[in-house]
Amino acid sequence: MIQLKEIDKFIESRFQRIFILKGINLTINEGEFVTLMGPSGAGKSTLLNILGLLDEDYSGEYWFGDKNITKMRDRERSSLHKSEFGYIFQAYHLIDELTVYENIETPLLYRNVSSNERKSIIADLLDRFNMVAKKDLFPAQLSGGQQQLVGIARAIAGKPRILLADEPTGNLHSGQAKEIMEVFQELHKEGTTIVQATHARENADYGTRLIQMLDGKIDQDEVITHV
Amino acid sequence: MWKNYLKVSIRNLQKRKLYTGINLLGLTIAIVSFLAICLYINHEWSYDKMYADYNRIYRLNQEFRSEGEAQLVSSTPSSLIPTLIDEVPEVETGTLIFDLSIFSTVMVDAGQGNQEEKKFAYADENFFNVFDFNLLSGDPKKALSEPNQIVLTQTTAERYFGNAASATGKSIKIDSKEYEVTGVVEDFPSNSHIDFDFLGSFKTHRHGTSPEWSPSNYYTYVKLKSGSDPQIFEGKLEQIVDKYLGKDLAEYGYETAFFIQPVTQIHLGDQTLGSIKPGADIRYIYIFGIVALLLIAIGIINYVNLATAEATERNKEVGLRKAMGAGRGQLFGQFVSESMLLTLASTLLSILVLYLVSVKFSSLSGVPLDLSLVFSPLGITLLIAFIVLIGVLAGLYPSLILSSMEPIKALANKTKMGGGAWVRKSLVVFQFFVSMGLLISTFVVKSQLDYMKEVNLGYDKEHLVSLSYHYNMRNGIESIKNEMLRSGGASAIARAADMPIHIKAGYRVFPGGDNQREFMITGYSVDKDIIQTIDLELLAGSSFSETDINRQDLEDANQRFPVIINESSAKEMGWTAEEAVGKIINIGFNQNSEIKGVVKDFYFNSLHHQVGPLVIFNDPDQSNVLLVKLPAGDPAAHLASLENVWKEMVPERPFNPVFVDQAYNQMYSSEQKAGWIFGLFSGIAIFIACMGLFGLVSYVALRRTREISIRKVLGATQGNVVSVLAADFLKLLGFSAVMAIGFGIWFSNNWLQDFANQTKPSVWPYLIAIGLVFILAIATIAYRSWKVYSLNPAKTLKSD
Repeated sequence: MIQLKEIDKFIESRFQRIFILKGINLTINEGEFVTLMGPSGAGKSTLLNILGLLDEDYSGEYWFGDKNITKMRDRERSSLHKSEFGYIFQAYHLIDELTVYENIETPLLYRNVSSNERKSIIADLLDRFNMVAKKDLFPAQLSGGQQQLVGIARAIAGKPRILLADEPTGNLHSGQAKEIMEVFQELHKEGTTIVQATHARENADYGTRLIQMLDGKIDQDEVITHV
Repeated sequence: MWKNYLKVSIRNLQKRKLYTGINLLGLTIAIVSFLAICLYINHEWSYDKMYADYNRIYRLNQEFRSEGEAQLVSSTPSSLIPTLIDEVPEVETGTLIFDLSIFSTVMVDAGQGNQEEKKFAYADENFFNVFDFNLLSGDPKKALSEPNQIVLTQTTAERYFGNAASATGKSIKIDSKEYEVTGVVEDFPSNSHIDFDFLGSFKTHRHGTSPEWSPSNYYTYVKLKSGSDPQIFEGKLEQIVDKYLGKDLAEYGYETAFFIQPVTQIHLGDQTLGSIKPGADIRYIYIFGIVALLLIAIGIINYVNLATAEATERNKEVGLRKAMGAGRGQLFGQFVSESMLLTLASTLLSILVLYLVSVKFSSLSGVPLDLSLVFSPLGITLLIAFIVLIGVLAGLYPSLILSSMEPIKALANKTKMGGGAWVRKSLVVFQFFVSMGLLISTFVVKSQLDYMKEVNLGYDKEHLVSLSYHYNMRNGIESIKNEMLRSGGASAIARAADMPIHIKAGYRVFPGGDNQREFMITGYSVDKDIIQTIDLELLAGSSFSETDINRQDLEDANQRFPVIINESSAKEMGWTAEEAVGKIINIGFNQNSEIKGVVKDFYFNSLHHQVGPLVIFNDPDQSNVLLVKLPAGDPAAHLASLENVWKEMVPERPFNPVFVDQAYNQMYSSEQKAGWIFGLFSGIAIFIACMGLFGLVSYVALRRTREISIRKVLGATQGNVVSVLAADFLKLLGFSAVMAIGFGIWFSNNWLQDFANQTKPSVWPYLIAIGLVFILAIATIAYRSWKVYSLNPAKTLKSD
């Protein structure tokens, strides 16, 4: 599904190039649940952003299915971005001025989903995450775990094939983290491809593949087997 | 989608109260000013467009020429219009108006005793054919067709007869002559240059039944047949002049020509022509238009500045929306809808405010604001277009900045608004340039007004009162004078043609006697006491004496007639003041005028003009006013004793004293109005700009809270903090000041050009204007930085 060939990303400083990513070759198949691990600065987030089409400033080739993304026009890339990807952030990044309901609705608005369809999609999601009673609350009125659930609901509202999560549990305590991870596992079972970056080894156990990164390179790539 | 935009916009605006408040207030003030000026300009533009065939109506003006000197006037002879109607095929109809108010007031009596009225005119029977004003009663064809008929305006009819309906058919006495009210016309609209309370039939007047080619005292209007070429018509006027006036004119060495002026251009046209109602200077209309646009620009700039500054806070939201798939257009839509919402709110608020201030504005500007225009279909369409335009203009730049941010950087809060900084800075420079420029202009106008008030006019206008009297009181006027002097209410009294502030009568000095030059001279008809009464300074010779002959007692044009001239006249004839005394000159009606004295030049006209040659002569019968010098002490008490004398001697006429110094100030009312409007709007501009500055400093301070806290921990005083924040802004203000000085110099050169007598250019207007703006700006910055400074650094630093 996704194939990265010789991806380099660097910052040009006055005296030298500082590589953030160097020579990344990576293939991710449909239905995988990939965990990126590694110390801070290893390039996890950068890789995730490149995968998610949020960062276009790199060299190398990015193939999505049989399409070369690096050669795509903006319009195509943008529509691919809308239809295939969902994002979850460490700091939740909910829009403070919008209620739970409206936050989940936002990506649907940008996809021109009709009003009735929006209502039913959001109703399903609220139901699924047990948040029906909280739909009119603002993010500030929710706990961190609840906010992240809204973040997930928002990310999957547009029915993306790939879910990208950058430290989704980084700001949560372990109980909440576990809950989030279980949601991920469930989504994975339903067929969504997931790529997450994390510091926590136990989160990787929910996935199917663990990639260890170090200094902008892939250090280890192993399959997680569930006993 | 739009519902969502709207909802988000409302919440955003609610959340940022300071930001919303500043923008709302700034935009509202800007829009109120803008709308007020627009309505004002619209009123001035709309003059004389209410007549059915206004584009075929022209006023005929006259040009006198002799020896290279040309004089344009709007008055024409009474024979002109009957001749044109008879002989020129292009003329459909035409009318003549004789505005009596330039000459004197009338006494009106409808059974309740005499009242003095000013707005009386004669008009001929075609008046309502040309100007199709609506008659409430009476037949427009017959209302002015016979002698001794009169048409009243609705208000006047109500004033004299209780209601308009019952006035028709009643009789009313004007200057003791009986008239029959034959019609009541709706009050003339404020945007018509025709403005009378009484219209008497011209047939009542001598020239109404036997028109003549002299004098030229009448306004003539023609309505041309539709489709006829006004140029061709104008060409034919020359033949009329040749046919009827040619011979006489050649004899006197004059040339005359008639030319046409569209009725719609009277109000804003050449003001020296004269008109029934004083017009407006079209340059002021342009200036006010520019001021209106500048104010709106300042309001929009405030919004743009604050919104872009605020973008630093909103980039997280924008990044997020982008990550969720928002396209540029969609983000743009959101920000523009926010600014449109704000503009809409401001506009609604503005209309409300406009209602509250319109009465005040109307009374100060002298122009009624027709607020119903705002709600006419056109007004509403324009208003909506305006809201969209302002909304898009104000929202465009911030949304471009915001929607072009890279989402990753935006989310990480790494975006430096460096790109927008120079735009924002130039906008601030522009705002303060406008504020300072307007303020400098205000001070320039004010210094000229002050100069005009305080300049030594060459005569003493303090405690000088003018009492106008009617021609038919001339026989008893000497005894009134004596009684007044005896009562102690006056220290000196003179009869004069007019107040010395504007002496208008034009005469001509011909070669003859001791003088070889021919030139125009202004003539002042007075009695013997004028020199002492208005305190003119005699340079040579002596004042009039009791034995000097009056003009009306001259037996022929060769009899010796003593006159007094001013310095400029002496200079014109090539004499010093001493040399001039005793010389003989020819002033047209008298060829043997002996110069008895020479007075120092005094300003007998508005300061727009240089002092020219003047001749003062003894001609009390041409006089219309008593100039009364009040003795020292309480003017009210003196006026009371003058009134007693007046009441006793002329009980039928009201006592209306006019202070000469007030009348003098009145002459500059259009300049005063301009000064007032400049002052008001420069104040508004400064207020809006300072509010914008306050908002901007707030955001800068917020962004630099951490830095300021660190500085504080390191021992910075409040002054240090202020100077850190102020330094950048003061640099910008410096730029504005340089540009504003340039503008001020340009403005004062241009505006003062109009005055032959100018105040000396001074640096004070510039210093005060710029200093004032700087002080306000620094105060704004200081207040804002004080709030940041007073934060507890322990708290602000911990959150970082």
